[in-house]
Amino acid sequence: MFQTRSEYDRGVNTFSPEGRLFQVEYAIEAIKLGSTAIAIKTREGVVLAVEKRATSPLMDASSLEKIAEIDAHVGCAVSGLTADAWTMVEHGRAECQNHYFTYNEPMPVLSCTTSLCELAMSFAGEGEKRMSRPFGVALLVAGKDEDGYHLVHTDPSGTAVQYKAKAIGSGSEGAQTALQEEYRDDLTLKEAETLALKTLKAVMEEKVNTTNVDMARVAPAYVKYSDAAIQEIIDRL
Amino acid sequence: MNGPTLDFSFLDATARGSMASKHVDESLDAIDGNMHECNFKAPAVEDFEGFQREVINYVKPNHGTTTLAFIFEHGIVVAVDSRASQGPYISSQTVKKVIEINPFLLGTMAGGAADCQFWQRNLGIQCRLHELENGKRITVRAASKLLANTLYSYKGKGLSMGTMVAGWDLNGPGLYYVDSEGTRLKGQRFSVGSGSLFAYGVLDQGYKWDLTVEEACELGRRAIYHATFRDAFSGGTVSVYHVGANGWTKVTGDDVGELHFSYYPATPVDDVDAHCGGEGKKEAEARAATEASAMET
Amino acid sequence: MAPEGARQHANWSPYDNNGGTVLAVAGENYVICASDTRMSTGYSILTRNYEKVDQMSPKTLMASAGFMADAQTLKKTLKARCKQYEFQNKKPIGCVSFAQMLSNTLYYRRFFPYYAFNIVAGLDAEGKGAVFTYDAVGSYERTNYSCQGSGQALIMPVLDNQLKTVSPLVLPAVSSATPLSEAAAIELIKDCFATAAERDIYTGDRVELWIMNADGVRKEEMPLRLD
Repeated sequence: MFQTRSEYDRGVNTFSPEGRLFQVEYAIEAIKLGSTAIAIKTREGVVLAVEKRATSPLMDASSLEKIAEIDAHVGCAVSGLTADAWTMVEHGRAECQNHYFTYNEPMPVLSCTTSLCELAMSFAGEGEKRMSRPFGVALLVAGKDEDGYHLVHTDPSGTAVQYKAKAIGSGSEGAQTALQEEYRDDLTLKEAETLALKTLKAVMEEKVNTTNVDMARVAPAYVKYSDAAIQEIIDRL
Repeated sequence: MNGPTLDFSFLDATARGSMASKHVDESLDAIDGNMHECNFKAPAVEDFEGFQREVINYVKPNHGTTTLAFIFEHGIVVAVDSRASQGPYISSQTVKKVIEINPFLLGTMAGGAADCQFWQRNLGIQCRLHELENGKRITVRAASKLLANTLYSYKGKGLSMGTMVAGWDLNGPGLYYVDSEGTRLKGQRFSVGSGSLFAYGVLDQGYKWDLTVEEACELGRRAIYHATFRDAFSGGTVSVYHVGANGWTKVTGDDVGELHFSYYPATPVDDVDAHCGGEGKKEAEARAATEASAMET
Repeated sequence: MAPEGARQHANWSPYDNNGGTVLAVAGENYVICASDTRMSTGYSILTRNYEKVDQMSPKTLMASAGFMADAQTLKKTLKARCKQYEFQNKKPIGCVSFAQMLSNTLYYRRFFPYYAFNIVAGLDAEGKGAVFTYDAVGSYERTNYSCQGSGQALIMPVLDNQLKTVSPLVLPAVSSATPLSEAAAIELIKDCFATAAERDIYTGDRVELWIMNADGVRKEEMPLRLD
């Protein structure tokens, strides 16, 4: 097995004889090194929560941004190589504005994720501006459009799957199991906030506080939680 | 081997540029307006300017306006009329000449209606992208510069725009005049459009720094009203906006026909003919009558 | 931006006016889009059976007057874009989105305009009638009624007289829906075309009305003067 890998894992556009694209698989592995991010969809909105891992006490935790607004009705949480994430977020923002400019309506959430996935796949394309490798980042895209709320998970392979609740990053396995047990269809937004932070807390090494987590919601507009709002949720745990 | 391929190139110019294929520089492109360049189709002519002059006669784009804006102690007042004309034909009396770029920024429209609508909409999304990327609202100074840069890059291509960008940012109220020649001026008091001279007359006469908001709105409305009275290309309704620290609000919208009774209550003069008629007038009437009856058959 | 291919000489004239009148009226729950079917060049009539109204999406009608070659090319491109929109967003394009797309499409030809004068008529997301009226380079406005083409100056005053409501710019806002019922609006439109055909050499032959409401789209016709 290892033998075949070393022969077929260098080119981004070469399949192995077993039909696998190793570089893409490795990129997916890169996300498991990233900090944990959790998203939960309810009828009242979608909640996003991320862990901010400061590797040094001298590091300014406020400079670690893992949650971003794409448009007023779309937000996303990221895990993996954050620099790659910003390229994707900027692309998403431009696409949303572009859609609004052309059609005078907010971009449907699924169209937005499709365009993000197209970008994720662009390493396989031609031309000067193409990426030389897959993006090492996964996104949890939360949004609201005329069809209601959406929560979409995208990964480096350019696959987009809709979820009710999803965890990505280093703590994703434990967190996903916890979400699966606790998720109900009739969760309120408030309950979802608590569940997201509770799940995050369980997989984090450090104690949860306002500097090492970030939260946002799309309900129906994107809002990033203030430190006070996060503290209020921490107090509920 | 090489069978016939379908040519779908005419579909390429869907949006502001097909972005899916070029992600790396897209945000830079969006800022200087290059995004659109690939979409604009130019005529294959030797004399581009001559062609533009000729085309104007054919397509008769919407034109004509009075707009004004001024800064005073309590913010900015923006007032506009609502008429659009194609030559002597009034093509609309309900044009929205204040373009609401975002809750803190307004643009006004004078000159070619399509030019103003398109580029101010474009400015709107540039401002929004700026806001998303920097996490704070764009300043009026930056917004007006974005527009001026875009317009300057199309200088000489025949755009026609005279616009004011008014808004409130961390520096307080800001007002800029930007036009299609590439001019960008910071100022306290502007009026733009075919009726601007009439508006300036009223505005300059009544302006004081310490006007109350009500007085300032009244001044703006009165200035536009008098411009609609003397400028044939201005009319419709007078809309007045106020920009304060909490963003803009639309204060009033009044039909010029209604305003007339409060702003121009002139008493009729008996027998107007006695003052300006005489022999010359009768002759002129007779000549006009013969001309009118000589119709083409 | 640089023009490709052979440069045209100075007296190159890529435009013609084929005349014709298009008109649309929006009501609370219906919209009517109408046109005559005459197409002329100079003083000759090319055909008496040229339909200027097209359905672009389930909730959108579009009518164009002016230069028919440009209008036809424009509609062909827009129809393809509507399909693209449908594939990308998994829903048919609404009339408000279509209206914006048309505006941008016209503006991208700002320096070599489509010599076409368009009206878009449709039902918006709430099911209300909507009319959008354009100039040749993409300036547009949502109104309750509009008329474009060779009969514009004859018909618009009649529509203003019958249908004008308080301007949407006036504050406090007043509802400005067309007060007419669907049946009354159909009669008014027929009268307008009959009137225009009396005085405009480019309007005549036949008027077709596309009536759109919650039940769908239906067509009505009326003969006009043939001379």
